[in-house]
Amino acid sequence: MENFIKKITKDVDLSFAILLSFCVYVFFAINIEVFFSHNISFAILERFAVLGLVGLALTICIIAGEIDLSIGSNAALCAVIVVKLTDPLGAPLAMIIGLSVSTLIGATQGFVIAFIRIRAIVITVGTLMLLRGVALLIAEEKTVMLTDFRVPDFITTKVLMYFSPASLTVILIFICVGIFMRYTKYGREIYAIGGARKEALTAGIPLRRPMIIAFALSGFCAGFAGTVIGLKSGTAQGLGLQYLLLAGTVAAFVGGVSILGGKGGVLGAAIGALTVNFLNTGLVFYALQVHFVQLFTSVLLVIVIVFQTMSRVFDSRQARKSLLATIDERKTSLLEKKRSALGR
Amino acid sequence: MNAIIENNQLPFSAKFLQFYKDRTLLAILLSLFAVMFIYGIFFTENYLTITNFKAIIRDAALYGIMAIGLTFVTLSGNFFLLSLKETASICGVTFAMGMATGFGSPDLAGNFLVSLLAALAVGVVSGVIQGYFVGMGGNPIVVTLGGAGILYGIGAWWSDNLVINFTRPHDAEWLGTGSFLGLPSITWSFILIAIAAEIVLRHTNFGRKVYLVGANKAAGKATGHENFSMAIIVFTICSVCCAFVAVAFVAQMDSAQSNYFSAEFGSSGDMTILVIATVMVGGNSIMGGYGSTLRTSLGAIFIAMVDNMMVLQGFNSGPRIVGVGLMIVFSIIVFGLFAKGSRAQE
Repeated sequence: MENFIKKITKDVDLSFAILLSFCVYVFFAINIEVFFSHNISFAILERFAVLGLVGLALTICIIAGEIDLSIGSNAALCAVIVVKLTDPLGAPLAMIIGLSVSTLIGATQGFVIAFIRIRAIVITVGTLMLLRGVALLIAEEKTVMLTDFRVPDFITTKVLMYFSPASLTVILIFICVGIFMRYTKYGREIYAIGGARKEALTAGIPLRRPMIIAFALSGFCAGFAGTVIGLKSGTAQGLGLQYLLLAGTVAAFVGGVSILGGKGGVLGAAIGALTVNFLNTGLVFYALQVHFVQLFTSVLLVIVIVFQTMSRVFDSRQARKSLLATIDERKTSLLEKKRSALGR
Repeated sequence: MNAIIENNQLPFSAKFLQFYKDRTLLAILLSLFAVMFIYGIFFTENYLTITNFKAIIRDAALYGIMAIGLTFVTLSGNFFLLSLKETASICGVTFAMGMATGFGSPDLAGNFLVSLLAALAVGVVSGVIQGYFVGMGGNPIVVTLGGAGILYGIGAWWSDNLVINFTRPHDAEWLGTGSFLGLPSITWSFILIAIAAEIVLRHTNFGRKVYLVGANKAAGKATGHENFSMAIIVFTICSVCCAFVAVAFVAQMDSAQSNYFSAEFGSSGDMTILVIATVMVGGNSIMGGYGSTLRTSLGAIFIAMVDNMMVLQGFNSGPRIVGVGLMIVFSIIVFGLFAKGSRAQE
């Protein structure tokens, strides 16, 4: 436990994330009477099932030093496939098909990025549009709907007061991915190519394997988020879910990833997603229009970016100061030596 | 060593063939694409007419102007803005507010110049603020993603998410629906802006600086051209282009709403992605330092041509978005393979 606390206080961004989420929660808990209750906690966890996954997907990509812009389209495509296939094939088979399509798309993106050696933002802008078109094609430009509502009923039933099957599965995915990223060779490779790519490649880490794994994981998470949204509401649209990119990015950045890569983790992603959820759930009580939610989410993102940039600038200034100080010391010591030598 | 010298002495056609010898798949794909395009040109009814060509350029003009602004950002190595349509929407709302109410003073209502200046000023402010954060060391994608939400939120808040109408006749008609020498004003603006941008990039000090900073940030910094001021200037140029497009579009529609540039704009769903697609299909290096606004303009016309062809063939929006998406991915892969090995990476 002591180790844990020490680790958190050492990581500035993670402690800032915890502080921020605590502040947001306390603000709403004071201002809204019912915010601190079982039902709201259940609602927050329900939203967490979707947003946490998207935040996790982006966190993995950003740890690998890249950013995946096609997350919203990937989620929409998976949602359309799952909702469309649930009626003829049943939910489990439809989920397997949809998730494997999403994972495959992610893996292909990772392969292309590693093979051509381009930046992920370049290729994912293209796939953002391509996947959206494919989703529209599959949905035949209509809203796809379920006819059998037993599945949505099942995944939103309350278990153990706070959880539902959806949120329990998501928490399980978080734990699995966390263990994978932290304790396996493949997970460490993703950190390595994100934090110091040249050094990692020189040390013999292949670029392709971690890239494909990172993007496949992120595609899987995005697809799962789409599946949860689609099955919960029973509908899916080809052009929907584009807001997930902003929400997921905010969650990832609040969770303390660095755009330079190699930093952050699953715990941070969970905290970031919870912060965004507190904000979204709290704003519901003020009955604001949708654009206000977007406005406040963006303001949260800007606060975090400004904090990160400032702390980076501060760090580099500190490093420069200490460097100059050591140079000064050496100079003065040399001068003294010289003086003493001359004096003698 | 001998092989290198021999390779340099080969005529261009032989080099071209040698290049494709190793890349059979690429060659097949390229020729397939060319065949499909030529087939489409000759077997689409009413495609090869002057009226249709005018329509194509008119379509290309709206996102072409934005894409020319974005080319400056891309060339200077700052990737791209994800807040293009939001900048355009807030500028459009500003312009419509000026035309409808004159910002609260009835004397100014319908005054074209004041409204235009107000819209451009909003564009400048949003460009400078985003450029400042990017210049400080923020990632352009993340900063503009946040900026997009804020700009959209403010625009929707200000206009109360309503459609702002102003009635004809108004002073901005010449820009929105008027034409000059048989071409619409917006097409003329596209041509003029494209020429001006090309001259600025090729023949001025500033244009060379853009290329220098984009090609090699470290060298730029060492010679005194830091990305800080460059980011602010290019972001401002891009935002002003967005503001101009917004003014032209709003003048044409006689109304503005914060959602005008969001979904279903033109052909392909999302204005921002369409503009970024234009820059990429033109073949500009997204890492900066390589490309030109001429390529961007040609990219805009090419996308408009393909889109127009698909419309005339009777395709729905799904296949059209797939078409543009395939074009982006395809051009990225092709230009990526071209650049692979021949240019320094990152």
